[in-house]
Amino acid sequence: MIKESIFLMAAMCVSISAQAVERISAVGSTTVLPVMAQAAEAYHAMHPDLTVTVSGGGSGVGIASIIQGTAQLGMASRETSPEEQAKLDGHVDNIVIASDAVAVVVSKAVYESGIQQLSIAQIAAIYRGKIRNWKELGGLDKRILVIDKEASRGTRHVFAKAVLGSSHARAEGASIISGSNNEEQMIVSRSDNAIGMLSNAWLNDEVRGVDVLVDGKAIAPTIEHVRDGSYPIARGLHIFLPHNATAETKDFVQFLLSKQGQAIVKHVGYLPVR
Amino acid sequence: MKIFLCLLALPALLLPLACFFYIVVQAWPALNWQLIAGSETVGNLFGDVSSAGHGLWSQISGSLLMMALACLLAAPIALSIALFHALWATPSQKRMLITILQILQGIPPIVYGLCGLILLVHLLHWGISLAAGGVILGVVILPLLSSNAIHALERIPVEQTESAKALGLTSVAIIMRVWLPAAWPGMLTGLLLAMARALSETAPILFTATVFSGITWPDSIFSPVTSLQTHIFYLAQEGSNAHAVDMAWASATVLLVLVVFFSLSARFLRRYEESV
Amino acid sequence: MLILLWFLVDASWPFWHDFGISQLWASEWYPYESLYGLLPAIIGTAWAMLIAMFIAVPCGLAAAIVSSEILPITWQSWMRLGMEMLAGIPSVVYGLIGLWVLLPWLQNTFDLLTGHNLLAAGMILSLMILPTMMVMSQDALRLIPIEQREAAMNMGMNWSQRLLRVLLPQAWPGIRSGILLGLGRSLGETMAVMLVVGSLDRVPQPIYNILEPAQTLTSRIGREMGEAAFGSMHFSALMACGLVLAVAAICLSLLAQRKSKGFVL
Repeated sequence: MIKESIFLMAAMCVSISAQAVERISAVGSTTVLPVMAQAAEAYHAMHPDLTVTVSGGGSGVGIASIIQGTAQLGMASRETSPEEQAKLDGHVDNIVIASDAVAVVVSKAVYESGIQQLSIAQIAAIYRGKIRNWKELGGLDKRILVIDKEASRGTRHVFAKAVLGSSHARAEGASIISGSNNEEQMIVSRSDNAIGMLSNAWLNDEVRGVDVLVDGKAIAPTIEHVRDGSYPIARGLHIFLPHNATAETKDFVQFLLSKQGQAIVKHVGYLPVR
Repeated sequence: MKIFLCLLALPALLLPLACFFYIVVQAWPALNWQLIAGSETVGNLFGDVSSAGHGLWSQISGSLLMMALACLLAAPIALSIALFHALWATPSQKRMLITILQILQGIPPIVYGLCGLILLVHLLHWGISLAAGGVILGVVILPLLSSNAIHALERIPVEQTESAKALGLTSVAIIMRVWLPAAWPGMLTGLLLAMARALSETAPILFTATVFSGITWPDSIFSPVTSLQTHIFYLAQEGSNAHAVDMAWASATVLLVLVVFFSLSARFLRRYEESV
Repeated sequence: MLILLWFLVDASWPFWHDFGISQLWASEWYPYESLYGLLPAIIGTAWAMLIAMFIAVPCGLAAAIVSSEILPITWQSWMRLGMEMLAGIPSVVYGLIGLWVLLPWLQNTFDLLTGHNLLAAGMILSLMILPTMMVMSQDALRLIPIEQREAAMNMGMNWSQRLLRVLLPQAWPGIRSGILLGLGRSLGETMAVMLVVGSLDRVPQPIYNILEPAQTLTSRIGREMGEAAFGSMHFSALMACGLVLAVAAICLSLLAQRKSKGFVL
């Protein structure tokens, strides 16, 4: 066993010297992550000398990593706060590569029982714990499973700002706290009484986005409504590129903004910037 | 009374089989050669936001590499500690050593991960790396390996050492010619068990050594890796995607196979040692 | 080990300094408002451990008794093998089982809002410490010489009496080691608990409500470790959680050592 492991390590060391591969790490929002991961692969196929490793953790982690210098690219699905911007100003570029909508999602059963549009006030009341049962809104007689997100997630920041007033507002009515977009999608799809917040790319048959009532009009969380600005809970998806990044890294970011990169954005389900 | 006990014991009797069975059954759809050799492409099969690719090769190699590094680092230290214990430690030092080892064994691995995060990832600027993961895992398995080595040496009959001394062999020679040959099955057992343990630890390496995607083979010891354990964790958060669920169970099966392999080897070795 | 302790204390010092030890029982954890109460997580950890022990100790003990006293020898080795295999399953895999098997079951059986709760965490933990319990108890029972059993038979005791009066008291040190080991494992288990417990930082209302989502120390560290900026107060607070865990583990370990007189693993 030991001999084999020594051999493995030696082989690895040899392979280090054999190629000069640049490796950069992209860290942050799980909303931006699918785009990054697919773009990284496509880019690697064209430029084998650059490897991009992608990790999640949330927008908070992404911005923090760039500030601390532990990652070469940061991903966030929200705007930076004034404190964060102060630390980034002057040496990090904030580039928007896509936009999407934060959909207020409900379980399929809830949607099909008639809850297909909600006003901001109603959503806020649910998250504050004032409305506890779906029947108060015209649906089934079931308690509402309120899914909140970890406080550092970009999706939550945007949601809280639009619905509860401030990006760090508390949701007293929360029943459970989830982490990544994937986790929340799983919880919503496995229950029949849940409400949560997800990027519109995560909607599927089990996870339905409700329309948001704005001035009496029901606006659906679709790309078109993000484009024309009518959906109230929308945001840009940001990449943070330090000024001292290598040429390859900057080239990769350009790739993200190019036609090919934006095609990936569209493929995943977001609104391209071009 | 007997009936009552039997009823109470029933879960314990049935559960091992039930768990294994369930895991393999769930993994069945995804168990094919593509699992190892297939590509890792994330999401392009479904054009959606899933993180489940098809191939697990990079995860498997990542886990194995970290395990190898951890063992390489921990084994010599464990051996030295055991030799110290056998040769130079006074009885009170021996007791204290064993106590400390027991305590270290009981500390939750995530605490080691936290310390590793501060020390290795940030202070020493190793970044999220294979090296950090290897060191942290090494620390996690060190108490296990040391206790095991100590006991293996203790089991050598005293007469063998006495005769060697009477024959005039030096300490070094005693170690090399008498102790190691007698104790190696026991120590190897410990090593195999430690390997199994290193393969199953997830929390310490989640934020110190692994990333979500992008690595097929780490190009240096300071590069991050992907591992089976953390991959299962990411997949666990995607229960709405049937493919991800299958991949999760399949990854679990692969991990289990590896762990079982090491554990069973350890067990056979122990049997062999006991029969000698 | 001292290095470890020093680290934890040093890293969490800013936290303790600013907020004081009363944070151990402050009940709000909301980093954005600089609230770092540890109480919800501590209670959560305690509950999870209790539930796990409550399930695993009787089952494990019963299994050990059944295996060593009732079943024939071949069955014994198979059971032993099964238990050791169970012990080897990595914690993430238990997390999977918990998440996709246990949680829906709990949700349906108790008609809950969600299956993520302390009971689920406790049940999964009990699954993890069951092998330890059984193996240690079985070893302890096996060590009792066969003459004891025969002597008891000759004295006219029936099976239960022999068990309760002769065998169990003698095996108690080993059984106790198993319990303490199990406590240690359930204290420190991270992955499975993280996926299953709900991560809601609230003291259960009322305090014995284990059917609501809650938080444990390990789950909190696991979830927030990546996002706390190095050096910030949040980070120190997480370090403090780690310190509490370490101290608890050390105490458990010392307790086990003192009582067992060097029980060989």
